[in-house]
Amino acid sequence: MKALTILAPLAIAMTMVCGCGHENDGTRRFTVGFDADFPPYGFKDGSEYKGFDLDLARAVCERKGWTFVANPINWDAKDMELNSGSIDCIWNGFTMQGREDAYTFSSAYVDNSQVVLVKVDSAINDFASLAGKVVGVQTDTPVAKALATGGDRQDLGGTFKALVVEPNYNQLVNELDMGAVDAVALDVGVAKRKMSDLPGKFRMLDEIVMKETYGIGFKKGNTALRDEVEAVLREIANEGLMAELARKYGIDEQALILK
Amino acid sequence: MTFWSMMQELLGGLAVSVEIFFFTLLIALPLGFPVALGRMSSNWAVSGIFRLFISIVRGTPLMLQIIFVYFAPYIFFKMPLSHYPRLFATVLAFGFNYAAYFAEIYRGGILSIDVGQREAARALGMSRRQTFLRIILPQTIKRVIPAVGNEVITLVKDTSLAFTIAVTEMFTIARQLSSAHTSMMPLIAAGVFYYVFNYFVAFAMEKLEKRLSYYG
Repeated sequence: MKALTILAPLAIAMTMVCGCGHENDGTRRFTVGFDADFPPYGFKDGSEYKGFDLDLARAVCERKGWTFVANPINWDAKDMELNSGSIDCIWNGFTMQGREDAYTFSSAYVDNSQVVLVKVDSAINDFASLAGKVVGVQTDTPVAKALATGGDRQDLGGTFKALVVEPNYNQLVNELDMGAVDAVALDVGVAKRKMSDLPGKFRMLDEIVMKETYGIGFKKGNTALRDEVEAVLREIANEGLMAELARKYGIDEQALILK
Repeated sequence: MTFWSMMQELLGGLAVSVEIFFFTLLIALPLGFPVALGRMSSNWAVSGIFRLFISIVRGTPLMLQIIFVYFAPYIFFKMPLSHYPRLFATVLAFGFNYAAYFAEIYRGGILSIDVGQREAARALGMSRRQTFLRIILPQTIKRVIPAVGNEVITLVKDTSLAFTIAVTEMFTIARQLSSAHTSMMPLIAAGVFYYVFNYFVAFAMEKLEKRLSYYG
């Protein structure tokens, strides 16, 4: 009896481990790697992962008859995940600029700008007044690279007192809220989402750190899969589904490139 | 997000954390013994190998070991990982890591047994194997329980490192919910869950300790 009480939970756990295999019915599995701390592009909604990008990916899979798998990853490990075949693509507000050589990208589908968010009552009104301030960015993003020493916007980043690299966007915005950093540089889509989640707390500076575009990142050289996905994505864009999703997730329709 | 849907999600994550916890102990608790004995071997080559194993495992971050165990087949042999279960890699890395710590705890326990016990067993005509299994081991197990309990409780909290290779255990779920809803609530709730989990672990360890203290 005693042995049974010990073994029962183990047996249950064992079946759970074995349960997570691959599809056996022969359908293709399409695994999208994404950062789940990145609303509105990819985030947890109830028991599901949703968002502008994930909904697009799901729509592509439906049309191709593939099994859609949303796999939240550790953003720092994304290259290993992709190269080792653990995921099929990175589809998650994935900036193309500065990464062109590292991935096989789809065509750009969203125009995105990097903006600066400050607290509503902050004395910071333009980029000049960011001098001597502490500015936060998300780890391993083009804007983090650009503002760092040797980056394209070192002219701006060099004036900061410090550039703080945070593990995820949520913490970045929380630290701004709590005064740990004076300003944060991030994607305009995320900035707008946070401003609507926490109304009256933050405002966006008018100037833009850099312009960039989003694309779907595939393993370098995997043009076959890229072409397959892109063809369907264009269909979806032409039929207006992409614009519909943009409206649903509060993304500026003007920013959509594949229309 | 309602309170109950948040709880449901966190419980789903807790199931994964518990899985990592159980399987790690299943590997590490027994594996610690051969490692401890190997480390204590009078053969220098054998003890050297186990010394090196313990030294590397204790001297590098668990997070790095998890990454290594998962990505090693790809890095060294270019094997695609699409069918390599992440949970399996996680448990393997955790199992080896904790076995090294348990081995040192067991070694300390074995060394703490008075030499008179060995002498008495020998005087009674017991073989070395009999002495170890019947005299040394039972006393060792009693003595190492508090120290093992420490490690087991640490393990509960260490399960959050599994997200390094994208295993969505409870802490990751809490962080994702926190991001999606710009709220601290899920993180606080996760903290309560960890505490309750560890409360039961500590309770079980105490029970075990009492039960084994048959000499009062």
